[in-house]
Amino acid sequence: MAETLITKPSPLPATTPPHVARRRRRKGGLVNLLYMPALLLFAVFTVYPLINGVGLSFTNWDGYSPEKAMVGLANYTRLFSDDTFRMVLTNTVVYGLGSTLFQQVFGLGLAMALDRPLRGRNAARAVIYLPVLVSPVIMGTMYYLLFGYNNGAFNDVVTALGMDRVAWLSNSTAAIAIIVAVNTLQFVGISMIIYLAGLQSIPSEYYEASMLDGARGWKQFTNITLPLLQPAFATSIVLNLIGGLKLFDVIKVMTGGGPGYSTNSVSTLIGVVYFDNQSAGYASAMGVVLFLMIVLFTLVLNSLLNRHRLEA
Amino acid sequence: MHLSTNRLFNAMVGVVLLLAALIQLVPFYVAVTTAFKPIDDRSSQLVPPSALFFGNFLTALNQGNILRAVGNSVLITVISTVLVCLLGAMAAYPLARRLTSLNKTVSLVIVGLIMVPPLSILVPLYTMMNQLHAINSYWGEIAVMVTGHLPLAIFLYTAFMRSLPLSIEEAATVDGANTLQILFRIIFPVLKPVTATVIILSGVSIWNEFSLSGYLLAKPSVQTIAPAIGSFFSQQSSNLGAAAAASLIAVVPVLVAYLFLQKYFIKGMVAGAEK
Amino acid sequence: MKSGFTLLAAGVVISLSLAGCGASGDAAGSSGDGSIEVQTGLAVDSKLLSTLKEVTNSFQQANPTVKINLVPNSTTYEKDMKVRLASGNVPDIWWTHGWSRDRYSKFLLPLQNEAWATNFNPALSDAMKDSTGAFYAMPIDTDIAGIIYNKDVLDKAGVSVGTIKTWGDFETAAAAVKAHGVTPITVSGKANGPAGNLTDWISPGAYTKDELAQLKNGTFVGDKYKTVLDLVAKWRDQGYFNPDYASAATTDMDQALAQGQAAFIFSQNNRINNALQYNPKANLGFMPIPSLTSGPSYLVGGEMNAYGISKTSAHTEDAKKYLAYLAEPANESKLAQSAGSAPGLTNATANMGAVQASYDQWMTQAKTTLVPYFDRVYLPNGMWNTMVTTTDSIITKQSSVDAALGQVESDFKSLYGQGK
Repeated sequence: MAETLITKPSPLPATTPPHVARRRRRKGGLVNLLYMPALLLFAVFTVYPLINGVGLSFTNWDGYSPEKAMVGLANYTRLFSDDTFRMVLTNTVVYGLGSTLFQQVFGLGLAMALDRPLRGRNAARAVIYLPVLVSPVIMGTMYYLLFGYNNGAFNDVVTALGMDRVAWLSNSTAAIAIIVAVNTLQFVGISMIIYLAGLQSIPSEYYEASMLDGARGWKQFTNITLPLLQPAFATSIVLNLIGGLKLFDVIKVMTGGGPGYSTNSVSTLIGVVYFDNQSAGYASAMGVVLFLMIVLFTLVLNSLLNRHRLEA
Repeated sequence: MHLSTNRLFNAMVGVVLLLAALIQLVPFYVAVTTAFKPIDDRSSQLVPPSALFFGNFLTALNQGNILRAVGNSVLITVISTVLVCLLGAMAAYPLARRLTSLNKTVSLVIVGLIMVPPLSILVPLYTMMNQLHAINSYWGEIAVMVTGHLPLAIFLYTAFMRSLPLSIEEAATVDGANTLQILFRIIFPVLKPVTATVIILSGVSIWNEFSLSGYLLAKPSVQTIAPAIGSFFSQQSSNLGAAAAASLIAVVPVLVAYLFLQKYFIKGMVAGAEK
Repeated sequence: MKSGFTLLAAGVVISLSLAGCGASGDAAGSSGDGSIEVQTGLAVDSKLLSTLKEVTNSFQQANPTVKINLVPNSTTYEKDMKVRLASGNVPDIWWTHGWSRDRYSKFLLPLQNEAWATNFNPALSDAMKDSTGAFYAMPIDTDIAGIIYNKDVLDKAGVSVGTIKTWGDFETAAAAVKAHGVTPITVSGKANGPAGNLTDWISPGAYTKDELAQLKNGTFVGDKYKTVLDLVAKWRDQGYFNPDYASAATTDMDQALAQGQAAFIFSQNNRINNALQYNPKANLGFMPIPSLTSGPSYLVGGEMNAYGISKTSAHTEDAKKYLAYLAEPANESKLAQSAGSAPGLTNATANMGAVQASYDQWMTQAKTTLVPYFDRVYLPNGMWNTMVTTTDSIITKQSSVDAALGQVESDFKSLYGQGK
């Protein structure tokens, strides 16, 4: 019974009808106790350390010595004139939006291809999803080897074609593009599965009906597929955006943030400033600003998702 | 004519898919060739090993403590994932069904928590864990892993529960069932597909977790798999072959688990995709 | 459907009880089980670690009440240590990798009164002893480093190491190598360090004795540092560095050197042993570093593998006993030999393998001057990272020599102010 509920589109509206919500609200907040264990964990293991981290951002701590001094807002004012931070902020947005865009395009494309009755499609699904199962450190390392200058497979191909070796990751624009590509390849499987699920939940009657109206191909895609996939877009975009904005391991293994600081994301720069530059206070300020920006971002995203929910 | 263009189109789609699958296999192919070649082999990564060399696997198993690490990872991943599912489903219920402004705020905060950069909390968290004597203990690692993966689980469970029709719960309420009975008898049983999704997303992520686990479980006897692989790369020397071999060993358990859960997984994603 | 839930519930119960077991077994944290925790800083499969294990086993047979727990480490070692020091969960013994005095001395026990201290290698004094003569780690080896070269590459380019006395000679050699289609110098820009080595190696030869004393007293002698950076910029413009500088890892340095894709690297000698793993037939050696002034060529010497004891350890006596055991001539010799470098104590001997010939040539016979790591002795604590990032910014053309020099100067001044 459970499965029929899920695989067929439900005949009922998703959002709680107003009268029900009202009645439940009156019925008491005891049910809220159910999220207390989770909130308790968040309070102890995320919020409390986070607040401590905020405290560090007002100091000049080097990250390991017993002594530190209060420096007020100096770390924050320094941020505003820090060109590196600004550049890295842009990179972070590029990583976030770039990966998200490509993962949607390729994820949807692959899902539509795999939705067709083809032989071997189960194997293809599993193989395309495979990289999701591997740690980004390992995936990044493998691609790092492939892009290697002296011994990389890509340069083996290039030299076999009679051309000069290419220092793939030594140009910051190319390196950023490669990092986005690697992240896309690794996690395109998640988008693919989400869209595949979305496509399978669209009743075939819709397509049949539109066929009678003479619509097919691109028209069917824009009139039926895209609108009905909207909730899938929401889930997939949220997941990919989080992944892209938090990107860390792939950058670390592929370029280490170089040349210079030019391929760092905010997360990797925080690590560099905290541990290598021994400016833990300044790194904490970066973390706070990043977090505030992400909260703002989440608010905007949430209101967008809510609006869509109302429309739907 | 219609049929033949259709067949041609299918063939083209097939070729594209084959290409996509091949691209995805390239890094794995390189991992395999690296793992089966000795360190002084100079042949291209694309060339298969001339003879299978097992030295890297022996190094991984004997010196890298990989089996012990796999055991630790299995324990931590299983327990953490079970707790993530249980606590996540529980927390999602009021957030999906009781849309007060308080609960809307709580939902928002939880989505915000997904994005906390791990490095911003590393040192304060480690200091606290040390005071709690939780360093090198399984429970400390599990608590941190569960906390880190709960927000996404709650997000997915909430979306799924909102897609469930209210009628059965309504009926049960009329029959006099209380909230807990509704939750355990009616809601939990239908969560199977989304649970499969949460298990795969959280499980894979906990299994591969590197940045915090390396600190929380530093002793070789309690170390998990990702830091264990990392210990083939030190400041002074690196052993790529052994690391590749260890990585291949590490991916087997997740792959098996994935293939096992795959059929539920797509259904679970339908949930998020449905209105 | 019900069975699914029962399964879940059973899973939780089993899990929680398992977690409980795990917790009780290890509840006391890292040092609570009475063992001495040694952060070795070494890769899990490294030669030095396996020798250390061997020596430790024999120590434990002799001292069954003391439990030593050797922990291998990864590339995140320095971060791990900083986190541990910051949180107060300090290991009993740890690897000091060149920083026993400048970074770690406030956390470490002074060891100059130990019995083995009389054999402390004087070559390490500048790098490890503070102004009172105290030092904070037991040196396994003495790192003696110059410019590492691949003789096969140089032979093919018609260059003889013996003829390289000045940077001019070096550049002639580099040009000849480049003309043969090989990258003259390979540096890893991805790792946080090798770029700094480059300037750290060149700098001592840019200053006179008086100027070095000025640096020590807090006066930044900028025009001399500029000559160092100019040299790096010149090499960059000549195309002497590897094209993949920015993304190259240290393993790429090892491989390029081993496989004849590079003629020179500026690094500690342990890279030679790493490189030989990739190509055991490679003909590698090291040579002294030319001076930028008219002074003699020199080699850089300092602390590499050394272990210090935490001030706050609950087992300081046992830890001292353990280090004393490592310091016994037979053990110290064995350890230094597997590190592939000269021992850190004068009563030990080591066969340095591939490095031995160069060592004999330059140290034993030519008695080349040994200078300490420039940044550790003449620059305020914290400058190492500045050296790395400014050199990196010149090689990658992210900033001009003048801008980089300005950065070095301002960091020098602020860090000197903080340190005093």
